[in-house]
Amino acid sequence: MAISKELLEILACPKCVRDPGCTGELEYREKEQQLVCHQCKLIYQIKDDIPIMLIDEATPLD
Amino acid sequence: MKSIVTGVAGFIGSHLAERLIKEGHEVVGIDCFTDYYARSIKEQNLKGLLKEPGFAFMEANLLETDLSKILIGIDCVFHQAAQAGVRASWGKEFEIYTSLNVLATQRLLEACKDSKIGRFVYASSSSVYGNSEELPLREKSLLKPVSPYGVTKLAGEHLCYSYWKNYQIPVISLRYFTVYGPRQRPDMAFHKFIKAILNGEEIEIYGDGKQTRDFTFISDAVSGNILAMDSDAKGEVFNIGGGSRVLLNEVLDSIQKIAGRTAKIVYRDVQKGDVRHTLADTSKAKKYLGYNPRVNLKTGLAEQWKWLKKLGDLGI
Repeated sequence: MAISKELLEILACPKCVRDPGCTGELEYREKEQQLVCHQCKLIYQIKDDIPIMLIDEATPLD
Repeated sequence: MKSIVTGVAGFIGSHLAERLIKEGHEVVGIDCFTDYYARSIKEQNLKGLLKEPGFAFMEANLLETDLSKILIGIDCVFHQAAQAGVRASWGKEFEIYTSLNVLATQRLLEACKDSKIGRFVYASSSSVYGNSEELPLREKSLLKPVSPYGVTKLAGEHLCYSYWKNYQIPVISLRYFTVYGPRQRPDMAFHKFIKAILNGEEIEIYGDGKQTRDFTFISDAVSGNILAMDSDAKGEVFNIGGGSRVLLNEVLDSIQKIAGRTAKIVYRDVQKGDVRHTLADTSKAKKYLGYNPRVNLKTGLAEQWKWLKKLGDLGI
């Protein structure tokens, strides 16, 4: 089961979403099973179809 | 209907989400896997739910995540997430309790202000009563929690009420009385008793075993939530109990009978924050929600025994 479209729509980067003018938009990388925030340059992993939306667990985007 | 269940990987949250799915609801589950007990246990709780097409799960912290976005299209919020444990809430650890039980609740309520949710059900606890001189405990009884944990749960209730009064968020708080059954947390008494008997280990009792509790089987606690979702009551608090007062020593007798084994029992000093007696007056919940606990202690204990025995047999 892949991550659902509905779930993807409600996810946002927890780090920057509260910054003024920022929506916390994430890029979904289906092949890598990752969600990328270009604003914060962070990658949130999707493990077994579960998005791990924790700032501490995110890894830096090279 | 679409609901959010916070703390969905926990004992009550996972059962509640399963019932909602079974009744045809869609559920968005959130959990941050606090380290109060092993992550593997919570993952096990979620196993069945993750296969359900109506269930979506995200690992997220209510203190960080964008809650307003998650609340779009949601009819009901079941706020089950909390840092559990009365005894662990003293000292430095209190900071975790204020963050996860008070601040997280406030953040969620704040986000609900701008949403169109029809119901917000808050998981409170009988620990808000403390050592009341009056039994059974009524919703109007004096609240004097004797543990920092109880203080944070009471603060959560008050926050719910404030947001109802000022922003008309349709809240209901449910005060759970010692919930037990399959998936009960490993630090909780029945879980520890049964496990000790299964492993031939000593059972530690804090106090003389003559303390009494009102024990609530998990399916009754879940029913309380479903009834709260469907009811017209708003800004109210309800006791969710099992309907009978039982001595801890009686519980031990029942478990030994179910197990067909004799336990080695050791009595230790009472722990700080432990309440001596609890007994819920559930007449308000019955009147306004139609709540009626159905599972008696013997049946419930047998269910929990079966579950733990199976886990033991599987080596989990």
